[in-house]
Amino acid sequence: MAYQLYRNTALGNSLQVILLQFDKAINSALAQRVRNRVNFRSFLNMYRFCDNLWTFVLNDIEFREVTKFIKVDEAKIVDCDGKNTGSNTTE
Amino acid sequence: MASAPWPERVPRLLAPRLPSYPPPPPTVGLPSMEQEEAYLELYLDQCAAQDGLAPPRSPLFSPVVPYDMYILNASNPDTAFNSNPEVKETSGDFSSVDLSFLPDEVTQENKDQPVISKHETEENSESQSPQSRLPSPSEQDVGLGLNSSSLSNSHSQLHPGDTDSVQPSPEKPNSDSLSLASITPMTPMTPISECCGIVPQLQNIVSTVNLACKLDLKKIALHAKNAEYNPKRFAAVIMRIREPRTTALIFSSGKMVCTGAKSEEQSRLAARKYARVVQKLGFPARFLDFKIQNMVGSCDVRFPIRLEGLVLTHQQFSSYEPELFPGLIYRMVKPRIVLLIFVSGKVVLTGAKERSEIYEAFENIYPILKGFKKA
Repeated sequence: MAYQLYRNTALGNSLQVILLQFDKAINSALAQRVRNRVNFRSFLNMYRFCDNLWTFVLNDIEFREVTKFIKVDEAKIVDCDGKNTGSNTTE
Repeated sequence: MASAPWPERVPRLLAPRLPSYPPPPPTVGLPSMEQEEAYLELYLDQCAAQDGLAPPRSPLFSPVVPYDMYILNASNPDTAFNSNPEVKETSGDFSSVDLSFLPDEVTQENKDQPVISKHETEENSESQSPQSRLPSPSEQDVGLGLNSSSLSNSHSQLHPGDTDSVQPSPEKPNSDSLSLASITPMTPMTPISECCGIVPQLQNIVSTVNLACKLDLKKIALHAKNAEYNPKRFAAVIMRIREPRTTALIFSSGKMVCTGAKSEEQSRLAARKYARVVQKLGFPARFLDFKIQNMVGSCDVRFPIRLEGLVLTHQQFSSYEPELFPGLIYRMVKPRIVLLIFVSGKVVLTGAKERSEIYEAFENIYPILKGFKKA
């Protein structure tokens, strides 16, 4: 029921501009300011590479960090190409 | 007594079990209904034969034969392969049939037969062959050559039904296995190796097939699982499947290369699976001109070899540059096979189009290598 109809308003347009600024800011922050390293091991259910984008579907993953250890049943990893290869995950 | 239950049972078996492979191309003669009737006839024939307890026609008709025997691939592979899985899948379903109305000795054989057919179906359609029941394809090849009487006698007791089902079928693959039975003892295709019985094992088979339709590679890469497509680097989709473990290169022209299979039948099966994936994505894929382009085998002669001596006496065939590559490259003229011979005694044979060429090349090289045994 929430129409995106009102994006083309003064308020909506300025918020769109901010969203673009956010895109730039988050990309540079992830590239420059994040230093953590996470290892993971799992069963690879599916992979795909198209349009320079890797998609993985993993099962039974163990994410390991120095401090933590998380077990996940299923995860999807989408890899975009960047200068320092950014990626994002969804569960 | 036996006629009453048949009509209820058998159609149930045949109807839902249509082959999971792509539907047969129009070149196949029989439409599916008539094919099912043909299989119904086969089943009834085989059961009728079992009632008479007829011994198997030929000891070489173990049911594993039509599938993995390399000779089978020679002619008309398209129809051959199409009908074969149908035959085996339908016969595999007999395990659910209640056969208690049959006399005891036949029931026993029948119970063995559907289990084995089912095993065979599994073997053929994807999983590991149960070692307890069926020999592995390589053993079976040796078995056919060296131990045909003993091995197949044990099988003949278990598979009288299958042999009968194989024989009366009008389908080409079974006539191929008929000719197979007569040919096998005579031609030197059986891998009887020089005394020790070393048989080269196939490690890789490269084959090509034409799907005969233009493909949208981006659509395939987006929708198929386990696919890579990087047009800047290579103009084909690289797809992989787990069983048989193979990789395929699929081009936009519709041509496809399938690599990584360990046997001819596995290569064909894998290529069919890729074709099915493409077909399910909406392309009118067919399966034309399946051809095995290269076969690689390897084996171990179990003694070290003096490569220097070999290159001196066979210099027109060999090239040995230890600083470049530690193996001697022997280019045999007949058959036209390239062998990589290593000091350890391991031999790699490649360049074959047929399994027999690998075996023949090894039989040719083995006495030569024995002459250059170290120490």
